[in-house]
Amino acid sequence: MKSPEYVSDHKSLSLLEEPGYLEFPGAQLYAVLHSTPHPLARVLLTGPFASERQNSYLPWVRWARYLAARGMEVLRYDYRGVGESPGRFEEMTFKDWREDVQLLAEWLANRTPALPLILHGLEIGALLATHCFEAGMADAMLLWSPPSSANQALRSTLLRWAGLEQLLKPDAERTTAADYIRQLEQGSAVEVEGYRWSPQLWQESFDWKMPAGFRELHQETGQGNRAVRIVDLPRKAAPLVKGGFVGYDEVKNFDWLFTEEASWIAARAADCLEVRR
Amino acid sequence: MMQSIHNRELVAFHGGNFPIRGTYHRASNEQAGVQKPGRLGVIFLNSLSLPRTATGDSSAEWADALAECGYPCFRVDLPGLGDSEGDLPADLLSYINGGGFAPAASSVAKEITERFDLAGVVLVGHCAGAVSAVLAAAKASECKGLILMDVYFHLPQAVRPKFRQYLSNWALKSAPGRMASNLYDRLRRLRLRVQANRLPENANLPLLRCWKQVASSGQPILMLKAPARKAIGTKARVGEFDYLQYALKTAGPQSQVIVKFAEGTDHSFANRLGRAAVRQEMGSWLEAFFPAACPAGKGTVSPISGSPVRARPSKEVVVMTSSST
Repeated sequence: MKSPEYVSDHKSLSLLEEPGYLEFPGAQLYAVLHSTPHPLARVLLTGPFASERQNSYLPWVRWARYLAARGMEVLRYDYRGVGESPGRFEEMTFKDWREDVQLLAEWLANRTPALPLILHGLEIGALLATHCFEAGMADAMLLWSPPSSANQALRSTLLRWAGLEQLLKPDAERTTAADYIRQLEQGSAVEVEGYRWSPQLWQESFDWKMPAGFRELHQETGQGNRAVRIVDLPRKAAPLVKGGFVGYDEVKNFDWLFTEEASWIAARAADCLEVRR
Repeated sequence: MMQSIHNRELVAFHGGNFPIRGTYHRASNEQAGVQKPGRLGVIFLNSLSLPRTATGDSSAEWADALAECGYPCFRVDLPGLGDSEGDLPADLLSYINGGGFAPAASSVAKEITERFDLAGVVLVGHCAGAVSAVLAAAKASECKGLILMDVYFHLPQAVRPKFRQYLSNWALKSAPGRMASNLYDRLRRLRLRVQANRLPENANLPLLRCWKQVASSGQPILMLKAPARKAIGTKARVGEFDYLQYALKTAGPQSQVIVKFAEGTDHSFANRLGRAAVRQEMGSWLEAFFPAACPAGKGTVSPISGSPVRARPSKEVVVMTSSST
């Protein structure tokens, strides 16, 4: 029998991974610290929206390990009310989740202030990271598939989910994405992939946007002081981005993406250390 | 970083080269310092590639509810999944169906039983996780019961050819496609009859053998079924082999298998109706078969605070217990 092809991100590397809860005033956050003996930089990973977490978890964790194996100390976490972090999802706001990014960035930066701090956000995490970066946090930032607004991200999640729902239901029971949006706009909550979206969350999502001109300003550079790199991931990057079927049964190799992105992070970390010297 | 909050504690188990990560939900009686002897733990396994919280964090919610009722609960990430390290084969589904996670799941069951001074454990699995649960139960004497959500006994194709995907989409989305699909179903039913309902070629025979071994031993088993496309209740879709009926037949006279149909939910059981149904059914079933774990005054699994939704009464479709046979 042919032996299966294994997807590995940590060939013979002894990685130190420490999961735990971090307590801040008003929030307890589940986080996993991927340590490395002599880190070159610290990277805070800010993940996608709640409904996308479960699908992207496997490659997201592997990305954290990939970076740790290349000398980065990485912190990943669950937003409050999501995953392992306690709290009721429907009571949370984008402001809470933006505060999570700030609290963790500060926590990470304070561990060894001499090392550069790099933010890396995916989807809504990219939006939240950008707001913190604009406020002066971190030395560089990598964004994967940032939406123009939180509403755009919610809308695309809703469209995909409603589409799948429609496929599985008889004609009489089908509810379209437009119907769900109408419900939200009329003040009713909607359940999407097990999360209850409140009408407040929907309304608030319109206000969380990429700062005007931010994408254009940083599209080409990706170098220099407080560098920013923006990458729109292709469909083949699913399940890191939306695409394909929910319930992924294929463990993908993401080396085609990780190699270049990790190199960019390492180069920016080296730039920052050089400037500090 | 703290390792515990409220009733939750982060735990790690031996998993070969790397630790198996998990979350332990302390039972309410344990927190009060009252531990009854002979108590059982409940272990939630990953569903396919999902982290241990499952869709919409439903597993975390169920574990909280059962812990409140007196059952220590453990949600674990099997090797390579969630926060647990480990290499995974690219074709994860075939790996799971072939029993890839069974050794790890049975080893965790043993370790939890010893470390937390339990009389045994109940394994909970959803979809591919249910397959791992059955295969692990056959290996672990510590496993005293099973809760299986939408378990399957065949070997699905991990990656369907593009043409098949296109055909399925056409059958789902267009009226002629739906008519063609219905005709196809009837032809398949005819074929099933001609073949005298014998097991299809893609039956997972090792899994069915393990099922027979576990179910016929009289181990209590709760099977939860969600509505499926073109299927009515727990019955298989027209033209499809009815694995559930087959499994119940092969379970034998000593078996204690209960099948419940959860209306108003989907395969993930993660919407409010599904969550409430699962919470209620798991709670009632545990109380019926393993009552020693329930603390005084906490006889039923209560709905999550602030949630007005209660489960629709599940349809009890098949009950096979030693008392009724």
